[in-house]
Amino acid sequence: MKNDSRQHHMQSFLARESLLDKRVMADTETPVVRMLPTVHVVKIGGRSILEAGSATVNPLIKALGDALQENKLILGVGCGARSRHVFSVGLDLGLPTGVLAELSAADALGNAHILGTLLASHGVVAIPPAMFGHLLPMFIHSVPGVIFNGVPPYSLWEHPPAIGRIPAHRTDSGCLILAECFGCRSVVLVKDVQGLYTADPFLEDAAEFIPRISTDELRELDLKTLPFDEIMLDILDTARLVHEFQIIDGRQPELLARALAGEHVGSIIYSNKRASAQAPSSL
Amino acid sequence: MKESLLSELGEALVTGSLTDRELLARTDIQPGLQILPDANVIKIGGQSFIDRGRAAVYPLIEEIKQNLPQHKMIIGTGAGTRARHAYSVGVELGMPTGVLSVLGTFVSMQNARMLHYLLADQGIPFIEPIQFAQLPLYLAERQAVIFFGMPPYTFWQRNPTIGRLPPNRTDTGTWLISETFGTRSMIYVKDENGLYTADPKKDKHATFIPKITAAELLALDLPDVVVEHSVLEMMQNAQHRRSIQIINGLVPGNLTRALNGEAVGTIITAD
Repeated sequence: MKNDSRQHHMQSFLARESLLDKRVMADTETPVVRMLPTVHVVKIGGRSILEAGSATVNPLIKALGDALQENKLILGVGCGARSRHVFSVGLDLGLPTGVLAELSAADALGNAHILGTLLASHGVVAIPPAMFGHLLPMFIHSVPGVIFNGVPPYSLWEHPPAIGRIPAHRTDSGCLILAECFGCRSVVLVKDVQGLYTADPFLEDAAEFIPRISTDELRELDLKTLPFDEIMLDILDTARLVHEFQIIDGRQPELLARALAGEHVGSIIYSNKRASAQAPSSL
Repeated sequence: MKESLLSELGEALVTGSLTDRELLARTDIQPGLQILPDANVIKIGGQSFIDRGRAAVYPLIEEIKQNLPQHKMIIGTGAGTRARHAYSVGVELGMPTGVLSVLGTFVSMQNARMLHYLLADQGIPFIEPIQFAQLPLYLAERQAVIFFGMPPYTFWQRNPTIGRLPPNRTDTGTWLISETFGTRSMIYVKDENGLYTADPKKDKHATFIPKITAAELLALDLPDVVVEHSVLEMMQNAQHRRSIQIINGLVPGNLTRALNGEAVGTIITAD
């Protein structure tokens, strides 16, 4: 049964090509639609912010409320300490990475509902994950902001990580991938540190602040820990629409409005990998 | 959340950074559970198989039925011709990778539904991602399930390095199910005997490769490979699914032999 005897053809430029052929793939590089170009994606840390108590959370809620008067926001949340706990129990039971990813979505969803309760007076609520992506543009058109659980829907399909068993696609990554798909204006990660340091500033006094760094430079530094998911560097390097993200300190809520206005108030991680590929096709 | 019940690792996870490689390295000290060690994951190609229609599909369905008494099968479907059509329409209109992923999912779902009707007389269900909690029950009761091969990443599908098409498609989605559930085998049913040095449909000098490691295959840097690149990369990090077999499902008996553990196509291994 040879190729030419197939009965069910359909005309398209990919119809007779292998989607595993690199030359064919290069032909699919075209300008991308920006679905939500004015919308910001803001990730509110789980353990670092939402679970740190009302003294930390309430001032930030006030700042978010103010920001929602002027901006459209997609708010993602972290899964926090409960996911760390369920990871440790799951690992002890020998459960695979995909199951750990499936479990952690519930913790982030809990945090999304906490944030939704605190922002309910603004019409901003946690949207169930099953409908969130498909209805996002409609929600954003109707209300100043929406909340999702940050966790990308990888679940049982989570990739086996290079080291150990902890799922690599966590809530920081979920926010960045979403922002890239919808062509959002910026990605801001709200944490309990001023930004990126050469070491964990809570553990080492000598840690130096890094205000701005490229993905390549950051890989070169090979830091022991990062205040965001490591795979974000790879996600940024393959992005077509979002070329940087900023980490800001949520304990200084006034920084949020400035970050949304495009000011550099924390650490910016950027990629220049696709700058040339993007130039001719910028919208 | 500090408490005495937590292990030392648990405490390190709750308080430490999940980007700390030393901490991550400690997370696989317990043996990994194989959730469904007796089940086999079978991926039936879209363009390569289902799109050929009755002549290809009916004999394979018959062979699947014959194997039901002996083998548990988690059957995933490829997308194929209509996905290529949707991708080409979508790429030209500027759809992002995440939207293309949604489009590919729909086609792979159509193929799963069609095979589901062909196997309906065996009581075999089609399950969507949300129904995977019932997978063990269905396998125990009916020996097989059908699912769509696309991983349910939808808008969260990551961009490829080259071009715009979703890099994790149905080969990857089925492989991940095999890895996560720790199944007995991962068999790709296609319309070629396995892997060649070039596309045998286009190049007469293409030579057959019966066995190769994922690293060797990636090093060959072939312009075209029979299985998605992501599978080769992920396999090297796998806990369980460290080999796959690609077989020609147009040859009667090949699926049965592969299910019985025989090498009838190309075997790609992690080591």
